[in-house]
Amino acid sequence: MGDRANLRFAHASEEELARILDFYGIRWEYEPRSFPLDWDEQGRVVESFSPDFYLPDLDLYLELTTLKQSLVTRKNRKLRRLRDLYPEVRVKVFYGRDFRNLLAKYDLHPIAAP
Amino acid sequence: MTPEISQVLLTEEQIRVRVRALAAEISHDYAGRDLLVVSVLKGALYFLADLTRMMDIPLAIDFMAISSYRGGKGPSGAVRLVKDLDEDLTGRHVLLVEDIIDTGLTASYLLRSLQARDPADLAVCTLLDKTARRIAHTLPIRYRGFEVPDLFLVGYGLDYRQFHRNLPYIGVIRDDFLRREPASS
Repeated sequence: MGDRANLRFAHASEEELARILDFYGIRWEYEPRSFPLDWDEQGRVVESFSPDFYLPDLDLYLELTTLKQSLVTRKNRKLRRLRDLYPEVRVKVFYGRDFRNLLAKYDLHPIAAP
Repeated sequence: MTPEISQVLLTEEQIRVRVRALAAEISHDYAGRDLLVVSVLKGALYFLADLTRMMDIPLAIDFMAISSYRGGKGPSGAVRLVKDLDEDLTGRHVLLVEDIIDTGLTASYLLRSLQARDPADLAVCTLLDKTARRIAHTLPIRYRGFEVPDLFLVGYGLDYRQFHRNLPYIGVIRDDFLRREPASS
């Protein structure tokens, strides 16, 4: 189970997902790791990606993308880069529709995109 | 077709044919074993009834029921068994029969609970396998009826707000119907 103490989620949908994971007894960590994706000529990281959740018992990262469609393309590019650079890392992406359907399953209303 | 359904995904006949094939496969695999078929109320009701009636080996049946996630609409906390099994699982071959596996979180919880009771063997049979949102990816799914796309499905046990379970086919509920507020009682 995640540790909620002093934890501030970036978006309400992330908090909802955390509650769902808690409900089913799935341990999670919130943004525990940042993956460098690009470096400048001096070797400094200029772009990185931090998946929203890590589920240690499943060795799986979860990324929740409830962003407006216009912003999803950039995130998809980052995800492709992440998979190229770190093929051993397992990332599951929940897009807006995925998450809306998941909420519908529980008869919950969608949470507005940021 | 009911007005709330936009399309039939699996017809009554398609379901019957596939369930018969699953029943034959399971009967073959579990012949001579002490088989306990476990199911979760209420979604797998029709699947379990049809599947087990088409099986030709001795078996026992038992049921569990678990609480549902309610978000902010009810007490949160953790999933709990609303109804536990009556049967002892020790040393028995247990087959968990599910209507649909989606994220896998419910099945994962159930399997942890069942595994703790020391069965000889524990496997899953699901009519529908929806992998698009799978989180728990290590489930021992030994038998699957159909892989289905990420659509909201009702019928043949699957419900929306407890309705449409009794449809003889599996259909896709209309998006605009999903977004409606529940009728006030």
